[in-house]
Formats: sequence, structure tokens, C-alpha cells
Amino acid sequence: MAETTIEGLAQTLTSDHLLGPVHSCPTRSPTILVSPKPRISRTRSPLSLQYPPKPTSSLSPPRPLLGFSTPFSPSSRSTSTVLLATPESQLSLGDSPETREWDMQDFYLLRKDVETTSKRVEEVRASSGLEQLEEEVRRLETAAADDSFWDDRSRAQQILMALNDVKDKIKLLTEIKTQVEDAETIVNLTEEMDSIDGALLQEAVSLVKELNKVLDRFELTQLLSGPYDKEGAVLYITAGAGGTDAQLDSVIRANLVDLYALCPVQQSHALHSYLQDWADMLLRMYVRWGEKQRYKTKVVEMSSGEEAGIKSATVEIEGRYAYGYLSGEKGTHRIVRQSPFNAKGLRQTSFSGVEIMPLLPDESMAVEIPEEDLDISFSRAGGKGGQNVNKVETAVRITHIPTGVTVRCTVAIIYTCSYGLFPAENCGGDQLFVEVYQTRELVEGRTFNIRDVKSSGTKRQGQIWMLWYNLLEVFLSVHNIILLKERTQLANKTKALSRLKAKLLVIAEEQRAKEIKQIRGDAVKAEWGQQIRNYIFHPYKLVKDVRTGLETSDVVSVLDGELDPFIKAYLKYKYSMAMATAVGIK
Amino acid sequence: MRYGSRGLKTGDLQTNSQYVVGCEHWRDMVLSVEEGVLIPRPETELIVDLVGDLVEGNGELREGLWADMGTGSGALAIGIARILGPCGRVIATDLSPVAVAVASYNVQRYNLQDKIEIKLGSWFEPLKNVEGQFVGLVSNPPYIPSHHIIGLQAEVAKHEPRLALDGGANGMNDLLHLCHGAASMLKPGGFFAFETNGEKQCKFLVDHMQKESKSSFSGVDIVSDFAGNKRFVTGFRAKSHNPTNPNEWTVKIN
Repeated sequence: MAETTIEGLAQTLTSDHLLGPVHSCPTRSPTILVSPKPRISRTRSPLSLQYPPKPTSSLSPPRPLLGFSTPFSPSSRSTSTVLLATPESQLSLGDSPETREWDMQDFYLLRKDVETTSKRVEEVRASSGLEQLEEEVRRLETAAADDSFWDDRSRAQQILMALNDVKDKIKLLTEIKTQVEDAETIVNLTEEMDSIDGALLQEAVSLVKELNKVLDRFELTQLLSGPYDKEGAVLYITAGAGGTDAQLDSVIRANLVDLYALCPVQQSHALHSYLQDWADMLLRMYVRWGEKQRYKTKVVEMSSGEEAGIKSATVEIEGRYAYGYLSGEKGTHRIVRQSPFNAKGLRQTSFSGVEIMPLLPDESMAVEIPEEDLDISFSRAGGKGGQNVNKVETAVRITHIPTGVTVRCTVAIIYTCSYGLFPAENCGGDQLFVEVYQTRELVEGRTFNIRDVKSSGTKRQGQIWMLWYNLLEVFLSVHNIILLKERTQLANKTKALSRLKAKLLVIAEEQRAKEIKQIRGDAVKAEWGQQIRNYIFHPYKLVKDVRTGLETSDVVSVLDGELDPFIKAYLKYKYSMAMATAVGIK
Repeated sequence: MRYGSRGLKTGDLQTNSQYVVGCEHWRDMVLSVEEGVLIPRPETELIVDLVGDLVEGNGELREGLWADMGTGSGALAIGIARILGPCGRVIATDLSPVAVAVASYNVQRYNLQDKIEIKLGSWFEPLKNVEGQFVGLVSNPPYIPSHHIIGLQAEVAKHEPRLALDGGANGMNDLLHLCHGAASMLKPGGFFAFETNGEKQCKFLVDHMQKESKSSFSGVDIVSDFAGNKRFVTGFRAKSHNPTNPNEWTVKIN
């Protein structure tokens, strides 16, 4: 009984991000809306895992199986609707000691379980192409034995990692076969003996249970078997229709500024977050999610909205499987809330688009795009340009003419600074604070006693300048930063071109096109897909994925990066859709 | 308007962060800058592209002598030197000793001291001994009309050198001077590219060149920058000059 081995294998095969222990999430959510106590429905969110795609049977719509308490309960996975009717007996089988009386009905149930599992194992083994895998191992081993193997370290590491992955997979496939055979033997033996051995059957039950867990995990990693799924991801968020809530009431807005000065610190946080645009909230959600997965997230580009929030942002997420997990987030996200900008507090809807591309190293993209297929245009905020201005965001837009696929790239990470005053009542004496930001992230903040800088008018302004210069210099030297991020046209162009290539590769993959040339334009137009998820703040709180039907009332947690249930549910959904299509083709 | 993390009303401080950290990214380079030197602008990057396209198919230009007048941080000179052939050379001039020092430092950082010579002086003055030998002239001269300077972004008006910005009453003083000198500095077939403040200056220059020195230049053209502003005037020294018009050679070199 190699339970631990199988668990271990499953762990290695599975990404440790989604299936590993759930990281406890920080409870503090300083800039999110103040809301009633979070009500994450514990019985519900794990249920996403209980929409088992039934590999062979026709697809039935996902439904909540409220009777089960564990996500990977064997019965929910391995059996068809017949068994769903009697979940208690299944569970009690697993839980109760050997003393339990076995009657014939239980045995038949077990036999059916074993049969189903065996079928499943066969399917998994067949679909994963064992021979191809072994061929792959041979190929990789030949490559690793080459004399010049270590000349290119990064390539060598890639090959070794791939080799490990394939070997683990083969091992797992062998192990599940042995185990299911063990279970079959027990069933056959019992039939032949014509008597029931409780302990033996118990073993078969736990075997089946374990097997199904392993199969579940295996399938989840199978879901991430796309060519780029293991890569990091580039996430591109754009404020869509709606954007900053349409009908602004300027009076209210003007008053809000004063409210900032008046209200206690925490309330003003709430206000601040309310002011943020929907795209900005999404950006924060994904960055938090990335942090929870221990991914390296980097906001590489952001252009601010005119009133609040952002027009667009690009985040690079480095880490294994980031693309695989996030690829399902592509589409339009919709928020319904009471507008903070609207005097009457009318309900308003905003949309934001999320686009995901794999983060591919340049050299791995074997795409040659002829120069004449590219339409490259640069943009810069209007005005005279040239010597007249400094530090203005510049951007480049590249369109691939045959497909119409477009990417925009802005490289402008610049340190900015905020300063302000703490009134005496907050801190026992007027204080000046100076903060340095990289894009929006606070990188350094200091507080100075107002006595040191107090004077009037322009002189004070000058002293604040001095303070900032000092602060920035200290900050840069402490962090050993010599350079600002590049913002040259050439850098923008290079980066945009590499984004375009990644995007074309993904579209080609989606359309199963062998070459960029084969990409069909029609599918490209719908690249954002339709609306995939609703986030409703008012009149009730609900996040609902329109594809999987998964929902939770805890909007705040979701916006704080608790996306795993949604991601898992989508991967399952995608898998079951793929299986349904495959069955349909057969 | 930004809000500090403590929720109080704050304001952005605008400054030339490039001066604070002492450098600026330009094309694929990192250039040292300091107060007293104009921070190279992204628009100007295009001049290097123009030259690059040109020298690719023209060995004479690729291996010839170029000049960058009013080089500032040395951006154009370095950018061009990096795309020239092994025999190509650049002479960069600037009136400001600070700029000459900064440009020399940047040239050394890119290890181009054998290819680029930096000279202190106004426009063509330091180039008198090589008159007529250039295959290319480029410049981003001051072109902002004097009375516009006060209305510019504070970090430009207050912190960048006026010498590098102020082009006189209509901003054209230095541009006109460069145009007048270009014909005598360039070899026949030589190329020039000057940055301007926009459409008005471009058109004025083109008109001027066509009127004043009809046959000394050919292929005079206006090139837009990436934002669509008409930004550069480019052209070539005519290959054979017309002897019936001796005036074209009377070039004032101040």
C-alpha cells in the first residue's frame, strides 16, 4: 500500500499552488470596502471541486452536491448518478471500522466503484499516451547525455525539469494501474470465495478512495498540460465600457476631497477604495492572488485614469503554472455597485477586460513576423513634445495586420512622491510626511516634525523639495538602485513585439493552427470573450462566475485575491467541456 | 491629485527624476545626465533611426565623418557612432562646458572615445578645420521661442538649461544658423537632420532652404515624430552645385 508515495507523486505532479495547503489569508484588508463580517460559505466554495466531469458519460450541468463534506470524496468522483443517491452509505463505509457488517448490497456498490475506477484508470492511461511519454524520456535522456549539455545552463535545466516531469508521470501511471488491479483482485476473490471478508473489502474501499483522489489531482494537472501552462503570465487589464462611473456629480466629487481631510484615517481608506476604478480593483485582486501563490508579481505598466483608478495596467507574474491558472480569467469582468460618484447613489455597472498571455522568454518564441505585417505606431500624450516636456509617458502600439491582433506597451515606471500634513489633532503636533512611490506602491515614507519645515508659501515648498530629494537619494542608494526603468521608444517597441508574439502564439494554440499564418481573424475579434464573472456589491453581495455557476457572497475576500475556488472550478469546467466535445467527436 | 497613504490631501512633486538619479534611458543606452544638460527626449531617438536606415545601404555615409552639434549629453553622437561602420567618426560640439564634460563621460562609458571627438564651442566654430568633409550633420538645437519658456512644465523651465532650450524670439535663431552652415560643411550627397518645435518651424525651414539656397540641397523633407508632430527637417547636400548661382556658397559662419 504505497499511499504516501502516491500522495507524494501527486504533489509533485500537481502544482503546489492550488492544491497545496491553503495559505491562510491575511485578514487585514486596509483599502477594501468596509463591509459586514465576511461570510465565506465554507460549504460552498470547496464545492467547485465537486462538479466532477464524468469522462465518458454525457455532460450534466454542474450542481451542488450538498451531501458531501469533503472535496475529494470518492463517491462523488467515481460513481455515476446511481450512487449519488446513497452517499451516506459510501461515506460510512470509509469511516467506520472493520466491525461493520457487510451485506451484499454494499459489496455490489463497492464492485461498481472498483469497475468505474478501473475504467477511469484505463482512460487516463490511454489518454496520456504512455508510449509517447517513454519515447520522450528516451529523447530527453539522450539530450542530457550529450557532451555539450551543460554549455547552455538554462536549457539544461529546462530539459532536466521536463525529464523529471515525464518520469514522475510515468511512475504515477504505473502505480495507479497496480492499485486498481489490487482492488479488482479483492473483488474477484470475494466473488469466488462466496463469503465476505470485511477487512479485505475495507482495504479495497480505501484503495478506491485514494485512487480517486490521485486521479482527481492528476486530471487537474492534465488540465494544465497546454504548451504554455507552466509558464509565467502577463496580465493586461483595461478599463472597459463604464470605466469611471459615467455620470459624475462634480459637486459630490469636490466634497469628497474635503471629506478626506476630515474623516478619520480608516474611513478615508474606505472612501479611497471606493474612488478607485474597477480596473484598479481588479489589478489589486490579481496582485494579491499572485502574492498568495508566492508568485513574483510586478506591475510593469500602468496608466492612470482621469478621475480615479487606472485606464490600463500590465502585470508580469513569474512562477510555474501562473499562465495555466490564470488563462481562464481572460474575458470581461463586470461590477455592479452604487456609484460613489453619483449623487443619487444609483446602481451602476462597469466592465473591465482582462487579457492573459504567457510570459515567454524571447529566445523561446520561434516566431518570425515579416516587418511588412506589422503596423507600428507610437503615441505620446498630446501637446508639443520634444524639448517642451519631460517625463511624459510614451507608448507603442503594434498591430499584426493579417490578424488584426494588437498590443500596446508603455514602459514608464517612474518614482513619484507625495507629501502632506498631519494636522495637530491626529498626532499631537503638526507633522509633514513625504512618501516615495514606484507606480502606486509605497516604497519609502518618512514623517518630519513640522517645526523643522514650518515656514510659509514658496519657501516651504522649497523645503519640501529638499526633503524629497534627500529621501529619494537615500532610498535609491539604500536599495542600490542606480537607474530608473527604461522608457525609451526602442525598449517599448522591443517589449511590445515580444508581447505580440506571445499573443499570436496563444491564439495559434487555441485555434490549433500550426503557423501564425493559419490564424483565423474571426476568433481573434472576440479575444476578450464575453462577460465571464459578475461582482455585485448592491443590492446584495455576490460574485458569480457565469461559466461555472460558482458563486460566493464574500465579495471582499474575492477582491482580496481569494480566487482559487473560481480558478479550480473553471479548470474543471474547461476539462469537462473538452471531454464532452471529444465524446461528441467519437 | 494623489492621496497619501494616511488619507490626507497631498500633491505630486514634479521634478526631473533623471537629474536626481543622474541618468536617463535613451534608445538602448543609459546616459548620464546632470543639471546643466538637457535630458535627451524620446522624440530625438528617431534621428538615429533615420540615420540608421540611411547608412545601411550607403557605404560612404557609413564610413564617413558625422557631426552632432549641440550634443548635450552626447545622446545623438553616441547613438550614431554605434551604428556607423568601423571607419565612421563623429564630432560632437557643445557650447556648454558642463555638457562637454557629461558627453565625454558618456562617450567613455560606451568606450567610443576613438570614434567620437567632443569639442567645446558654438555650432560650426570648432569644426572650421574640417569644413566640407562631413557626410552627415545632425542636431537638436534649442528651438523654443523665448517667451514660451516661462509657460513650460516647471521641471523643464526651472531645471533644464535655458541654453539648450531657448531658440530666440521665434525659436528659429539656431535652426537658421545651422541651415545656412550645412551646405558648406557637408560633402555633396551628405545628409542632414535637424529637430524642430513642430510644423510651423519645419515649414519655415523648408521654405527658407528652397528660397535662399535653391540648388544646394536636394530631397528636403519633413519627418513626423512618433506622436505625429512634424518634428524633423531632413535633406541632402545637392550632388552637383549650380555654378550660375554663386550665392549658394556664401555661407555666413559666425
